[in-house]
Amino acid sequence: MNDAVLRAEDVHKSYDGLEVLRGASLEVGRGRVKVIIGPSGSGKSTLLRCLALLEPVDSGDVYLDGERLSGVRERELARHRSEVGMVFQRFNLFQNMTALRNVMTGLVDVRRLPKREARERALEFLDRVGLADKADNYPEELSGGQQQRVAIARALVMRPKAMLFDEPTSALDVELVREVLDVMEGLAREGMTMVVVSHELRFAQHAASSILMMDEGRIIEEAPPQQFFSSPSHERTRRFLALVE
Amino acid sequence: MLAAFDTHIFWEALKSRPYWTGALLAIELTCVSLAAACVIGFFLALGRASRLRIVRGIVFLYNWIFRATPTLLQLIFAWYALPQFWSFFAGNWFRPFLAAFIVLSLNEAAYMSEIIRAGLLSVDPGQELAGRALGMTRARILRRVIVPQAVRIVIPPTGNEFITLLKLTSLASVISLHELLTASQVRAVFAFNYAEAYSAAVVYYLVIVSILMVAQAQLEKRFTWRSAGRRRRRVAAPAVPAVPHDAR
Repeated sequence: MNDAVLRAEDVHKSYDGLEVLRGASLEVGRGRVKVIIGPSGSGKSTLLRCLALLEPVDSGDVYLDGERLSGVRERELARHRSEVGMVFQRFNLFQNMTALRNVMTGLVDVRRLPKREARERALEFLDRVGLADKADNYPEELSGGQQQRVAIARALVMRPKAMLFDEPTSALDVELVREVLDVMEGLAREGMTMVVVSHELRFAQHAASSILMMDEGRIIEEAPPQQFFSSPSHERTRRFLALVE
Repeated sequence: MLAAFDTHIFWEALKSRPYWTGALLAIELTCVSLAAACVIGFFLALGRASRLRIVRGIVFLYNWIFRATPTLLQLIFAWYALPQFWSFFAGNWFRPFLAAFIVLSLNEAAYMSEIIRAGLLSVDPGQELAGRALGMTRARILRRVIVPQAVRIVIPPTGNEFITLLKLTSLASVISLHELLTASQVRAVFAFNYAEAYSAAVVYYLVIVSILMVAQAQLEKRFTWRSAGRRRRRVAAPAVPAVPHDAR
């Protein structure tokens, strides 16, 4: 058997006749950090959404902890979604809730924890991302970097089996990127299983167990950072790296 | 001096009981109709976004019927024609207030559904996605995240609807509901004191609408998502495309 936390096998997905994923496969072992890079439109975000169980796949399979979840009914799926943390490019915080309420909501509404317990745990996780003092602030009063850290805490508080990051720093001003990457590197060190779509190559170099190159709906290359950067085997990867660096 | 305006008669009209009860009746009718219209309109708004074609069709038909016919006609139809269609409505229980309530709330729901739809659409879909990623059900996301934010967008145009509806209640005078306009008509023709009687009615409507405007401003402040200390700073709510105000 396979002990991958997350696994996608030959996933296909089309939107309005446009085939975005054309047989993408990937496997993430426990405690591994995979960074996906690739040109826009290559299907990175779509793959992530399929892994987060937010999009049904047209064909192929998605497994979480060995359990096949593609094809599972919507009602059942909601429960499994809470086992995968997702962080979005544009933070997507609930604007009508304070930072604390944002982090608490999943615990109260999905995990059915009593309010007091949820509150304590949410505060603990806000503290972990360095924002305990912003608990009572609304998202629009926070900087982008702070909002993204709240979003990370909101996902983490559910104690997910894996965390998915969809370009978590690309909507941020340059000075704010670091504080988010610091949190992510900390998570990687603690052994969190992560899939990160990002073009932060320094982060990839430090934190990734391997880097994946995606192009035209497939993963065309996967290698540990050192090898990936020094001797990419694929011509497409070489051209892309030349552009990004 | 004004030609024939007797301030004393004007004051008497203003203080008289029929005006007072008529005004209260108009406010009551407006409030219950608007409340019902919000509920019906909410489901119409959801229905318009339904995946089922038949549901979308029903909503379209509903909005079409209630927006394409004059409200006055709808009132008269409900009061005079409905009992001839179904003897069920010929019973004593079918009072003018009830008839007016049914017509105004069904009518207003068609307009409210557009406003509520705009409000629901104004909430960034990324928040719904984030809610789903957390494992929340759609119903819960709607209740916790989308509706509270839509409310803020919906308040200002709903204030307008309240005003429109308040004025529409005067149409119910034709189905013998003793609201404010009926009261002033009765007083006007009693001794031909049109100027005084109708001026008093004008004052009533102005006062009611003014109170509403203050209440609306207070309500808008409550739905601004900032922490307590900074709440006073005004934030412009995102603009909503105005719903065309046709003569109803």
